[in-house]
Amino acid sequence: MSNGGHEAGHGNITAQIHSNRVVFPVLSYTYPLKLLSPRVQQDGVAIVYMITYGGGLVCGDRISLSANIEQDAQLVFLSQGSTKVFKARPGVRAAVPVTLRTLGATTTVTQQRLEVSIAAGGALYLLPDPVTCFRDAAYHQVQTFRLARGASAALLDWYTSGRRARGEEWAFARYYSINEVFVEASPLPRRTLADRMGPYACYATLFLYGPRVQGVVRELEERMRAATVFQVREPLDVLWSLSPVRGEAGNEGRIVRVAGKETEDVKKWLSDALRGLVDVIGGEVYSKIFI
Amino acid sequence: MQDDKESYLLLLLSDANLPTGSFVASAGLESTAAHALFHVPGPPGSDILAFLRSSVDTYARSALPFTRDAHHVVAAYASGETLELDAALAALTRLDTLYDASTLNHVARRASCAQGAALLTLYTRGFTRPSVLLADAADYDEEREKRAAALVSALKLRVRRGEPDAPAGHLPVCWGVLTGALGLTVDRGAHLHLFLHARGVLSAAVRMNIVGPYAAQQLLLHALRRVVDDALRSTAHLISGALRDEVDSDEQADERLPATTWPLGEILAARHDLLHSRIFNS
Repeated sequence: MSNGGHEAGHGNITAQIHSNRVVFPVLSYTYPLKLLSPRVQQDGVAIVYMITYGGGLVCGDRISLSANIEQDAQLVFLSQGSTKVFKARPGVRAAVPVTLRTLGATTTVTQQRLEVSIAAGGALYLLPDPVTCFRDAAYHQVQTFRLARGASAALLDWYTSGRRARGEEWAFARYYSINEVFVEASPLPRRTLADRMGPYACYATLFLYGPRVQGVVRELEERMRAATVFQVREPLDVLWSLSPVRGEAGNEGRIVRVAGKETEDVKKWLSDALRGLVDVIGGEVYSKIFI
Repeated sequence: MQDDKESYLLLLLSDANLPTGSFVASAGLESTAAHALFHVPGPPGSDILAFLRSSVDTYARSALPFTRDAHHVVAAYASGETLELDAALAALTRLDTLYDASTLNHVARRASCAQGAALLTLYTRGFTRPSVLLADAADYDEEREKRAAALVSALKLRVRRGEPDAPAGHLPVCWGVLTGALGLTVDRGAHLHLFLHARGVLSAAVRMNIVGPYAAQQLLLHALRRVVDDALRSTAHLISGALRDEVDSDEQADERLPATTWPLGEILAARHDLLHSRIFNS
């Protein structure tokens, strides 16, 4: 592990298999971003935590991370607790390079970019905690995933209504998220989303693709097939949907959407829905997700 | 186009009897009601108005950029500005494919294809000029009409063949194709499309008996205009992103791209097929 790169908030990861273990020829990051990879027992799987200074992001912060997952390597990508987005850093103003301020009228927006390419047999499980935007915060996220044929991915993008303990409910300025998934360079869904809500306090979108997540997909399809909605009197605590999306023939992706009255409800639902990953990444690694 | 011809076209296209299949779609309203998420506090009509605002807004933001781009492609080909039929067809296919990839809810995707295909048929069978009227019409721009008809027929054929890379024929794209071929202005076409979307939701509400027919008229006259106009204005600068490669990766460029703005609506619409009893197909 090393501190490399020059620009603020940049990270680079290359994960590859070396005699059954996942190793990182490249794992570099610059302030305010930090990347940590704890040791795990499971062969072929590694965890990387993305941590930001003080557990949060401030307006004007720009995080940019690229990862390269080589053949047969499986990477579980987690955050440590929910990512908090502040409108302004409380207290001290940390040193911000001038380059950030000269990038036009965008300094009030917090930006996060992620680019990942995944080789055949490789997998990315992007399962962070939800993003929580505080009052008036503006968050902008662009995530691009390039999958080779035979690669797998479980990509979770979720966010909460804010700091409800402080009476902040949907009080942030915006949450804007673009996820682009390319399989062998042909675009799969692009999903974008901007600031509009409902009676639920937490929304999640989960994208599932590839051979390694087929167990999870099969189980969800089974549950969906069994579901029937009669007229309900009260809104359900958790609402979810499952839609197929285009992919290679016979190997479609799936979009799962979940809304919950409480963040915990959604977390519990997700942790339950993804339990099938235990067969793929092992129980030890899985136990570190959704805690 | 002369104003009188344009208003005449608007009369034809806003006819509720137009065979476009919209009467089987509720745009997620039926599912929303079944999940007990339709009612919101407030005076009578607050609930349907809230639904309409959310629905019109997300539809304008996610679909209209495709309508506008498709309209431009067809108008440019009909006027001879784009020479090659294949180039225009390829552009429409790219638009349709991207819309298909961006529509992540299979129920909406299904409804959109059915209605889009109906529009193409409506044009080729209902709006092309019958041969008996070819010679003597004063307003007959032969070259333009023939080029427009050739493009729509070619597109319809591709949709119908359904080969692996074929366009599915989505509603917003086909609406742009139809209005571009008829020679409506792009803004008129987009405006009418959004109005019809909103009116479709309202008539579904009437059929579901959650809004009375007179109340629906009141909303149409006094409330819907603002809702539609606001959504149009706020999305006029958007592009589909399918026709140019220049989309930069800064957030100003990102924000010109289509987006869904109503995640709850997406979930509810996608759960439509789970309803035990249902009147609509979406």
